[in-house]
Amino acid sequence: MSSMLQIKNLHASIGGKEILKGLNLEVKKGEIHAIMGPNGAGKSTLGNVLAGREGYEVTQGEVLFNGRNLLELEPEERACEGVFLAFQYPVEIPGVNNTYFLRAALNAQRKYRGEAELDSVGFLRLVREKLEVLHIGDELLHRAVNEGFSGGEKKRNEIFQMAVLGPVLAILDETDSGLDIDALKTVAEGVNRLRSNDRAMIVITHYQRLLDYIVPDTVHVLADGKLAATGGADLALKLEEQGYAWLEDGGIEILGGARTGQAATP
Amino acid sequence: MKDLAAQFASALPQDQDGGSGWVGVLRRSGAQRFRLHGLPTRKDEAWKYTGLGLFGQTGTRLGIAGESFGSDVATPVVEPDLQVNVLDGCMRGLEVELPSGVSVVPLQDALDTGFSGLQTLLESLPESPRAKPSSDGFTALNSATLGAGVVIHVAAGTNAGRILLNWSTTAGDHSRFFNSRVCLMLDHGAKLDLLEQFESPHKLPNTCNIVVQADLAKGATLKHVRLQQESEKAGLITRTEVSQQADSEYNYFGFDLGGGLVRHDLHTSLKGNGAKTHLNGAYLLDGKRLVDNHARVDHIAPNGSSEQYFRGVAGGSGKAVFNTSVCVHPGADETEALQSNANILLSARAEIDTKPELEIYADEVIASHGATVGQLDEQAIFYLRSRGLSQEQARQILTTAFCRSVSDRLDDRELAEAISGRMMDVMPQAE
Repeated sequence: MSSMLQIKNLHASIGGKEILKGLNLEVKKGEIHAIMGPNGAGKSTLGNVLAGREGYEVTQGEVLFNGRNLLELEPEERACEGVFLAFQYPVEIPGVNNTYFLRAALNAQRKYRGEAELDSVGFLRLVREKLEVLHIGDELLHRAVNEGFSGGEKKRNEIFQMAVLGPVLAILDETDSGLDIDALKTVAEGVNRLRSNDRAMIVITHYQRLLDYIVPDTVHVLADGKLAATGGADLALKLEEQGYAWLEDGGIEILGGARTGQAATP
Repeated sequence: MKDLAAQFASALPQDQDGGSGWVGVLRRSGAQRFRLHGLPTRKDEAWKYTGLGLFGQTGTRLGIAGESFGSDVATPVVEPDLQVNVLDGCMRGLEVELPSGVSVVPLQDALDTGFSGLQTLLESLPESPRAKPSSDGFTALNSATLGAGVVIHVAAGTNAGRILLNWSTTAGDHSRFFNSRVCLMLDHGAKLDLLEQFESPHKLPNTCNIVVQADLAKGATLKHVRLQQESEKAGLITRTEVSQQADSEYNYFGFDLGGGLVRHDLHTSLKGNGAKTHLNGAYLLDGKRLVDNHARVDHIAPNGSSEQYFRGVAGGSGKAVFNTSVCVHPGADETEALQSNANILLSARAEIDTKPELEIYADEVIASHGATVGQLDEQAIFYLRSRGLSQEQARQILTTAFCRSVSDRLDDRELAEAISGRMMDVMPQAE
């Protein structure tokens, strides 16, 4: 199976400071990759660079998405190509109704792909279906985008948007941060329901506990802007036991087979 | 501008003209003040940011009341209970029967018949409240030509429903400057929902200079919605003076979506205990348009509350001026006065001058004010784009939401939706 996403020797900086220092990663259809690492390792930078947030400068390397140069595309083109970033801090947008926004977004994507736009009836049918699958009430629909939402509601809204937009590559940026265990389970369950053979996910997280609920195929450790280790789901458990301190004293050997910067080999 | 003032002045009543009785006195006194001080200039503090160049460019002449060349008015933005067409400042006769307790009369007729309470109202207008008399040149001009306009009286305990004043100017062989006066008298507990629509169907380079005087008796409620969507060639100068007795309520919603030179002096005095005022407004500008709002609230009696909520968006070479002031007079204890003004600049050439003022001379007062000028939230733009919306769509959605926060304060969904649709249509583009 060919790769959906290929990141090769990616260097990115913000405000002149290099954050990603030669990152390599390959993700195939249907896979879930977890990216773990200490604070400041560059986890969120990776998500933001992939989604096209302004302010990040890619100085070296390339990112291919289904064979296309992703870095050339505007953020909205990436979304229309099927890339979705679930934000670590979803933005509150007062005065913009959640349903209106989501329908405008979905129709913008459909238009881009040459599909017919959904009318309000068709859209509501889709929304109801997704709400049911995710076990979310419809109270989110009538409110302004994320305005006054609790931390859990904001993250659920991200997953709901993901369900409606149906991306092929979803990047979940610290979706577990700020959630209590119940909210975490709800969000994880939502994510699991969206797992499919056609969809890949990159789950960025600081803690292992999210991976109890979203079990990844591959776990990567990101440290100082590069992948320091790659392994199976059990790597996350090891990190949980040992913390990230071992990274600083060349602890790569401890993990045996995993090598720096090596792309995942499932 | 001196030439224009001189040209206007020559058309005004001389000392011996202006009619007999108290009306003649008002007219002559206005004419005298106008001859002496003329039109405001940028040397007047209240007109510092607002030049009158538009009138000079178009060779404006003083319009003659009643000399109309057409009868077209815009389609009402929502269906009112009563539509009153006002062409070139003159009210057209009504052919419908009015509910009992409601009178709507052309000002000239009301003057001729000695409409009860009208003299008191007209004589109560503070003619020159500002330090420099020339600041109030437009009021003087308006008084000097007193005659065209509308009188609405709502009797005690009566709900007049929604009355639309549909303003329009007509074509002439040169651009004209019309004066008009609106007198609103609401008796004890009366209610009026006044909708003013300024949308001349023919995009003519005319200007209206309108003074609105509203007298709210104890417990009266006036909702005053103004939708202004004139062409870039048109001017609109308005002064609204509201006098509020105890427990009365004045709710103003102004939407300035058009006009080349728009100035509104909006002033309310809370004279009775527990009176309430809400002043809301949105102004959207592009091209070379100028919209200048000066809002002032005087808290004279205790336990009153006022809130000012204005939002502005300026693109192109548009220029918005917003000056809001609140004065809590001695004895107006336990007053609550809130002011909020936020603005978005969409182009480097656009300009917004905002200035909140607050004076407090009473005790136990809650007051706040805030004025901001900024750009659209880049985080929000990225969030919308990351879901597939283009940069342009994202900006449009955000600016519309910003302005909708004003129309959403209307308690009337139909009108709020209609106005927000209008706002979307004229939303300035980002550059």
